[in-house]
Amino acid sequence: MRLIIREDPKAVGDYIANYICKRINEFAPTPERPFVLGLPTGSSPIPTYKALIQMVKDKKLSFKNVVTFNMDEYVGLPRDHPESYHTFMFREFFSHIDIPPSQVNILDGNAVDLIGECKAYEERIKQYGGIELFLGGIGEDGHIAFNEPGSSLASRTRIKTLAYDTILANARFFNNDISAVPRMALTVGVGTVLDAREVVVVVTGQRKALALSKAIELHVKTVKYFKSIERVQDEVERTQAELKAKGKITEEQLGSLE
Amino acid sequence: MSSTNGLVCFTNCLLPLEDGSLVEKDLWFDENRGIILDAQKTFYLRRERPDKVIDLGGNILSPGFLDIQINGGYGFDFSVYGNDDEAYRQGLKMVAERIVETGVTSLLPTIITQEKSVYPKLLSLLKPFSTPTSATLLGWHAEGPFIDLTKRGAHAPAYLLPATDGFKSFEEIYGAGNLVEGEDWVMTDNGNPAVRLITAAPEVPGVMSALEEVVKRGIAFSIGHSVASTDIATEAVQRGARLITHLFNAMPQLHHRDPSIIGLLGASPHLASPTAITAQLPCTFTAEPVPLLELPEAHGNNASKGPVLEHASEAFEHANVLTRKPTLIATKPPRSQTKPQTRPTLHLDKGYVADMTFERPYYGIIVDGIHCHPNSVRLAYSCHPDGCILITDAMKILDPNLKDGVHEWRDGKRFVKEGERLYLEGTTTLAGSVVTLDKCVRNFSRFTGCSLGEAIKCATYNPAKCLGIEDKKGTLRPGAHADFVILDRQGIVLSTWVRGKEVWSKAA
Repeated sequence: MRLIIREDPKAVGDYIANYICKRINEFAPTPERPFVLGLPTGSSPIPTYKALIQMVKDKKLSFKNVVTFNMDEYVGLPRDHPESYHTFMFREFFSHIDIPPSQVNILDGNAVDLIGECKAYEERIKQYGGIELFLGGIGEDGHIAFNEPGSSLASRTRIKTLAYDTILANARFFNNDISAVPRMALTVGVGTVLDAREVVVVVTGQRKALALSKAIELHVKTVKYFKSIERVQDEVERTQAELKAKGKITEEQLGSLE
Repeated sequence: MSSTNGLVCFTNCLLPLEDGSLVEKDLWFDENRGIILDAQKTFYLRRERPDKVIDLGGNILSPGFLDIQINGGYGFDFSVYGNDDEAYRQGLKMVAERIVETGVTSLLPTIITQEKSVYPKLLSLLKPFSTPTSATLLGWHAEGPFIDLTKRGAHAPAYLLPATDGFKSFEEIYGAGNLVEGEDWVMTDNGNPAVRLITAAPEVPGVMSALEEVVKRGIAFSIGHSVASTDIATEAVQRGARLITHLFNAMPQLHHRDPSIIGLLGASPHLASPTAITAQLPCTFTAEPVPLLELPEAHGNNASKGPVLEHASEAFEHANVLTRKPTLIATKPPRSQTKPQTRPTLHLDKGYVADMTFERPYYGIIVDGIHCHPNSVRLAYSCHPDGCILITDAMKILDPNLKDGVHEWRDGKRFVKEGERLYLEGTTTLAGSVVTLDKCVRNFSRFTGCSLGEAIKCATYNPAKCLGIEDKKGTLRPGAHADFVILDRQGIVLSTWVRGKEVWSKAA
């Protein structure tokens, strides 16, 4: 795992967008071998989406050969409801980039057979050879997608009942009418996320600090320390890239400093 | 140039929304079918996205403008029929094709009072019409002949008529075939909405009793060229009148004791109160006429201020002979059953206006700076912003390129054009205007201080809503016709689009 610290949400978004851009371009995706990207909703990824959109507009990046899988969707909420994740993704991201609609995958919360929908989703991910990079965010309690704390680390895509906290938090999007807030959602499992070859988690804002500190399980807390790790990391990566250029490394390497 | 899958995306643009705001948002449309798309549905359900993206450079992408009162243009007068159907049709087509340079993509040809035998033929030629490169002619607007002699404006006095037999008189004059039920009127469906509008004075004998049948047939009714008192004007609205024709012009000036037609803009929730209104009102709404003793004073004050105010006194004289019915409002069934009386008592919520069953009418207003003073424009708009409809009331000499001077009109009469002023030759009677609608939008924003988005609303959504055609024209709703006018941020027309195709663009 690698921890990157940036000054503010915009700088975080720029960093991650740059990273995703680099990964996609290095992957050199084709129609036969697309780059498979996992995507979240919520406020955390918005700066990242904004930066990615700008890269597409500047022609530094294309999603023509990218396949996306979203993390989750409410059950029973119409697809074009302003709060649905279909709407969110279209409004914040898909409408602004060049991705072909047929390469976008979002769980169908209105499917007649919800369990079947979840199974088919896992199957589709498998058909594409798994997810190359899963972008995610975490909630204040550390939830990822709709996997609340306590979800099995081996969990797969499934139906989840929303925690009462989450329902309360969502009420503001439904005229503060608790009864209008969806009570269930379809979500990828923790296992589905961990199966990805790489996971990038955006954590911004004071309220997420506790969740983050629990997650990294490190007792060193100074920003200076993490910055020094980052410098070493950059150096290692540079050396590795040089070796690769000279043909001394053949196998694909990801992450590092485990 | 065209898109391989027929879908086009406008990006980097400001969209005027139906509430008057301007938002930065993309718009998708189908250039082959000529309609606006629900982008999200197109993406997720049709699984398509536009192959062609047009960057509008931060400019405004407005629905095309609607002009619901226009008498002609480019030398062609909608009210002149020379017994040659083909020539008349050619004239209509010519205006429809040229008017797009003013940002107008839908218009309602307006026929001023005619010799009565002309109507059936003339109106029958005014079915909804468009070509692939023209604005849409929506139908017809018959202004007269059931209007008030004293407020006739430039209409020929000899042709004005009472509707002695109520709706029968309407059928007799306009031709029964032109007043049939909406579905029967337009037999061929070319996808265009069909609009018929009649401007009449509700106090002219027979008009009030014909009004409900007119509305029932799907024909919109507008109060105009009228001296209707407050009671009469109110009753006309309750019977289904939706609109006021060129507000402030050809009607009594605002008098505080009997605010007449203009007063409808300020219609008080008090009048919709379920309790009897007679006991509570100290002055006007009594069974007696307005006290005569007070009149000479009002008259004198008005008369001393200039000729315009004569009209106000005319209105009052009329009010005197009218028997006022105190229970009028309480006894008539409300026009709209959809708005229940939810606030019968006084309330405590600041900024909230008590519900009323009475729906205030829309009003057309000529914003050329001549027919209405900028202060009057702002007054009306402040009072009832959602009812405001910009109209040109333009005459046949409307042509942004035409020079000042004397021009032929009809029946041997001539106009004098001085800038944007237009008089009957030898008089000071205003004879309509020569202003273009895009100019009205800019004037309106300047006169009222409202945003360009709010001004655009008065030339797009408001008229479309008034005529009930907002699903097809005047909005950016999915399924609406892809009629657009692209404006710069100062309201200058850059290009005009009809059914998904660019039909006019400003020379660079």
